[in-house]
Amino acid sequence: MTADSVEPIIRISHAWKFFGELTALNDVSLDVMPGEKVVICGPSGSGKSTLLRSINRLETVDKGTIIVDGQDVNSPDNDINKIRQELGMVFQSFNLFPHKTVLQNLTMAPMRLRKIPRPEAESRALELLKKVGISDKANVFPAMLSGGQQQRVAIARALAMNPKIMLFDEPTSALDPEMIGEVLDVMVTLAREGMTMVCVTHEMGFAREVADRIIFMDHGQVLEENAPQDFFGAPKHPRLQKFLNQIL
Amino acid sequence: MTNEPQNVRIVITDGAIIPDPKERRIITAWSISFVGALGALVYLCASRPEPYWRLLQFLPDGIAVTFKVTVLSILCSIPIGLITGLGRLSRNRLINLVASTYVEVVRGIPLLVQLFYIYYALGRFLKVPDLLAAIIALSVCYGAYMGEVFRAGIDSISKGQTEAARSLGFNRAETMFMVILPQAWRTILPPVGNEFIAMLKDTSLVSIIAVADILRRGREFASESFLYFETYTMVALIYLLITLFLSKGVSIMESRLNYYDRR
Repeated sequence: MTADSVEPIIRISHAWKFFGELTALNDVSLDVMPGEKVVICGPSGSGKSTLLRSINRLETVDKGTIIVDGQDVNSPDNDINKIRQELGMVFQSFNLFPHKTVLQNLTMAPMRLRKIPRPEAESRALELLKKVGISDKANVFPAMLSGGQQQRVAIARALAMNPKIMLFDEPTSALDPEMIGEVLDVMVTLAREGMTMVCVTHEMGFAREVADRIIFMDHGQVLEENAPQDFFGAPKHPRLQKFLNQIL
Repeated sequence: MTNEPQNVRIVITDGAIIPDPKERRIITAWSISFVGALGALVYLCASRPEPYWRLLQFLPDGIAVTFKVTVLSILCSIPIGLITGLGRLSRNRLINLVASTYVEVVRGIPLLVQLFYIYYALGRFLKVPDLLAAIIALSVCYGAYMGEVFRAGIDSISKGQTEAARSLGFNRAETMFMVILPQAWRTILPPVGNEFIAMLKDTSLVSIIAVADILRRGREFASESFLYFETYTMVALIYLLITLFLSKGVSIMESRLNYYDRR
């Protein structure tokens, strides 16, 4: 890593976002350091997904700046498609491409966008499938997989672009309970390998295990930000205390 | 049957009372129409070769013209439809407005009037050959309908697909052509097939501007022989048989389009 790796790789400064009357983001600032794992939690409608999606500009903020790896994502001078290539994203609803096989889902973007030749893209894809534990399903269509398997493919698809950062938007919320574990296992492995991760999730066990920092949001504001130990052990904000009582 | 309450049996079904599409039936609306039409055609030709058999030899020239006009027009209307559909979904206000206005105007004018307009009204300034005028009128008209088919097909793909593609770094065009359209065509193709059938029937309008399609050939035959009943019976049976074949083709195509959903 270079000397400037001590700079935050994501820098959100005073972000505001309005949906009509609703203030989805209310002056949110957040820095994420390279290699850091940040978990964002909060009740539904708290703005946590909006915050995550504004990092790769699936939502544009109305005020404030978001800098990813030194580039302002909202600046017209920067190619958002290039910035997004460094930001892997995993969605609640998987969003695999149903008309492509699992292998094609993984090779499509690297071949087209990174100009990686097919044999190389395919061997890398198979490696990633092995890593997420579904190498035997390379040539089937996503509809034939269980939810947990689909989500693991989705993670592998994002990783196939070799992103610097992974964004997770409630990756286990659409899964049957018995499938949550297999997805979280993959995410824990990824965290151990040093990937920079920002996860919106309700999985507090996961947060406790891998997060360097947990952010609690409500009504578009960051109400508390702490290391897991203090976050769970000594929550200060009354909204967080209430939230933890409800979910733990 | 009495209507006493104790005799009322509540049957809980999965949905509306329509035949299960998976159930294979021999007697269907299609098979009745097909056997009826074919039977009538064969019976008429066998029992009264004059004029029916002679008609059957006279009309096929027209069938070829009808198909030619239909196929060429559909091939032109598909790109027009794609552009219109994309235009209707465009975030660019101007493009959107142009595409929407086109659809609005074309849908508001009867095809026959459009055909007269291109052939006779514009013909005052620029002489358009009859076949070309027919193809232009049908393409412009059906392009607008196709635009709606494409728009609906593209709209039917979940927003998550676009988000997934864009988050990987694909640009708008790549997302549309590599992710959205390859999925949307399954929704688009069956209605395009139906538009094809509708257009084949609408090509009968071009007989008015001297294109020698099935109906025109029929009119020629009838005006010489004065056998109106026999002629138009034959013309109707031929149209019916062609559209029955095509509609079967569309439904077979429809059932084969779901290959990646099969478990």
